[in-house]
Amino acid sequence: MSVVDSEFIGIFRDEASGRLDRIVDTLLALERGDAAPDAVDSLFRDVHTIKGAAGMVGLTDVSALAHVMEDLLASARHDGALAAAHIDPLLRASDALRLHVEGRGEPNPGLIAEITAAKAAGNGAPVEPHQPAPRTPVPEPAAESRSIRVPAEKIDTLLDLVGETVLHRRRLEHELGANGHGGHGIVTDELDRGERLLDGLKGAAIGMRTLPLSSIVTPLPRAVRDLAAETGKEVELVVVGAETELDRAILEGLSEPLVHLLRNAIGHGIESPQEREEAGKPARGRLELRAEQRGSIVEVTVADDGRGISEATLAEARRKGSLTAVLTEPGFSTADAVSTISGRGVGLDAVKDQAEAFGGSIEVHSEPGHGMRVILRLPLALALIEVLLVERAGNVYGFPLASVEEAVSLGATLSLAGEAAIELRGRSIGLADLAQLVGADPAPQVSRAPVVVLAASGRRVALVCDALLGKEEVVVKSLGPLLSSLSMYLGAAILGDGRIALLVDPAVLVRASAQPRAAAVVAPVAEASAPRVLVVEDSLTIRELQRSILEAAGYRVQTARDGRDALTYINGDGAIDLVVTDVEMPEMTGIELTEAIRAHATRSALPVVIVTSLGDADDRQRGIDAGADAYMVKRSFDQHDLLETVERLVGR
Amino acid sequence: VNGVHVRLRLGRERYAVPIENVLEVAELGTLSALPGTGPAMLGVRNLRGQVLPVFDLARVLAIAADAGLPRVVVAEHEGWIAGLAVDEVTDVVALAGAAEPAEAESLSGAILEDDQLIGILDIERLFSSLAAQAA
Repeated sequence: MSVVDSEFIGIFRDEASGRLDRIVDTLLALERGDAAPDAVDSLFRDVHTIKGAAGMVGLTDVSALAHVMEDLLASARHDGALAAAHIDPLLRASDALRLHVEGRGEPNPGLIAEITAAKAAGNGAPVEPHQPAPRTPVPEPAAESRSIRVPAEKIDTLLDLVGETVLHRRRLEHELGANGHGGHGIVTDELDRGERLLDGLKGAAIGMRTLPLSSIVTPLPRAVRDLAAETGKEVELVVVGAETELDRAILEGLSEPLVHLLRNAIGHGIESPQEREEAGKPARGRLELRAEQRGSIVEVTVADDGRGISEATLAEARRKGSLTAVLTEPGFSTADAVSTISGRGVGLDAVKDQAEAFGGSIEVHSEPGHGMRVILRLPLALALIEVLLVERAGNVYGFPLASVEEAVSLGATLSLAGEAAIELRGRSIGLADLAQLVGADPAPQVSRAPVVVLAASGRRVALVCDALLGKEEVVVKSLGPLLSSLSMYLGAAILGDGRIALLVDPAVLVRASAQPRAAAVVAPVAEASAPRVLVVEDSLTIRELQRSILEAAGYRVQTARDGRDALTYINGDGAIDLVVTDVEMPEMTGIELTEAIRAHATRSALPVVIVTSLGDADDRQRGIDAGADAYMVKRSFDQHDLLETVERLVGR
Repeated sequence: VNGVHVRLRLGRERYAVPIENVLEVAELGTLSALPGTGPAMLGVRNLRGQVLPVFDLARVLAIAADAGLPRVVVAEHEGWIAGLAVDEVTDVVALAGAAEPAEAESLSGAILEDDQLIGILDIERLFSSLAAQAA
């Protein structure tokens, strides 16, 4: 075994043990004949993940055994079924894996040979079991450890109470300050003591729920180096934001997806030194792991500067409307070759499932020749952030302190190509009125108004406000699902005086300021030439949500309650440029509608986007077979994804 | 229509919300405007430490109300929560009877009581129209 942090091995043990439980359950369900339709896929993914993680922590016996199991399951997945005779050796191999995971394993040449032979014998051929019925090893008593198990909900309750106590504290300070008790000696002393106690309580409670990302990344640079050496590549891992706190439950499940992503990047992304030099890149590839809190979520990004996706994948992404959707399809592989370094088709779909299981989402960006960036967005149980509070036109706004570069008072302004700007230390920065940018009525500005310089996504903007109220640590509260279409706000915070501060997303502000005179939140009025979208959906809620998203982006929207309704509309008027449809609907399903459109005498080329709650591979396949141009799952439904897809298909 | 409802008044019109959809009735309180939203969105308020979005129910239903809208019905459906500003919350009563179809999309129907037509609000449909009008 190579020298790897014992913390990492411990995490591997916990995860592998959970996956082995599921593998055994799934195998038994297959034997009984009541397994879920994706049972073989699930087995394959679990075994694949164990193999990958074991290789990463240096448990070579585990990865060797898992490798042949994976081989057998890969052919079962290809054939669409697992032969009954293969269940027994897989069960015994799972038991052997469990012994290894518990640190009591021995090499298994017999089992490896047996499973290899089983695969060679083929799917339908009977395989003689070498041993009698499987026996589940009796688990050893838990190792001596002073940890206790507490349901996550109890800690969440504690965190909620801490959040409320922080608010209570601010209110108390506000009241005491307002009533002139602030200067009283004893009161001041007790307030100070209370502040220290509260800080301690906050730290302890948050510490129960979160850990810094650094707790799982320590072994990664070494592992990356080893993997790179194995493949004859030069790779440097740069970790940014390792101190970012993440939900503990998420963090523990995150090491697996991160390992997947790093292996993918090294295995398929980063080129050999010669290839890189020929492409004009430095011989040493760069791999970046970055974590950053944005409001009530944390973004974890894995980026490489390797070869990126192929032209063929790019073309497929264009056709289907979303690169993320293409790359996260089950069975999609970024590599042609099958190697032990990275997988054969497992990877991003497993990472996506993980991210979604945590209540998060995944997004992939890549271009041929220009590397790949995978972004995981993960929620936080208690989101505390430090903000700079400002006032403008009667409202209080908060900017995350991490994005605030400086605050100055407004002196002379200059004009660059008709746009206002200020000059700071020889650099000119675009100037905008905060009120106008968020879409509020622009009130007159005060003289020598304070200006806050925000930086995000590599751009800057100087924002004029009325007053700086100071820095405060606040609890981020969501504005709720009814207001989720407002991308401008990260959420809101309640201040000591009971007022609400609107927390603004600096990235959106910076983007909005870059569009001359047009505030991002002002919905463009649909022009007569705007493309027409037909939204087909039986749920009124979803139908209206989609309508509002599309109309806000300037499309003209027509709605239909089901496939038949939609077809009637298409047959009658016909002035439609794109169809967005649900699958399960009364009268006529989205699949039938798609087929009817493809068979239509004059409208067979009409682009169709399928949006559905069904995310399994079969359904996706049915949609694709019917001729849909793009396929999106509601669970991961994101308005940016929808708009991006629609935009691509109607060519705006 | 059959079940307990919270009845409310908007101008001269009367409406009822199924009690399952009502969390509480509150004062309008102090609202913070939420720039960038549509006219039916009045703003957000601090309701015991939670941020509650408050909508102008009269504007959503396109009817005339008194000025002020001093009361807020805190409505809930499948975890979605919104405050609906109204003129008055009159009472909580069991309503039973055959509903007549209503024109408005946010209503599940209407019933006649004491010579007055009471519109029964369909909170799910109302919320989807609120979500559509938010931005």
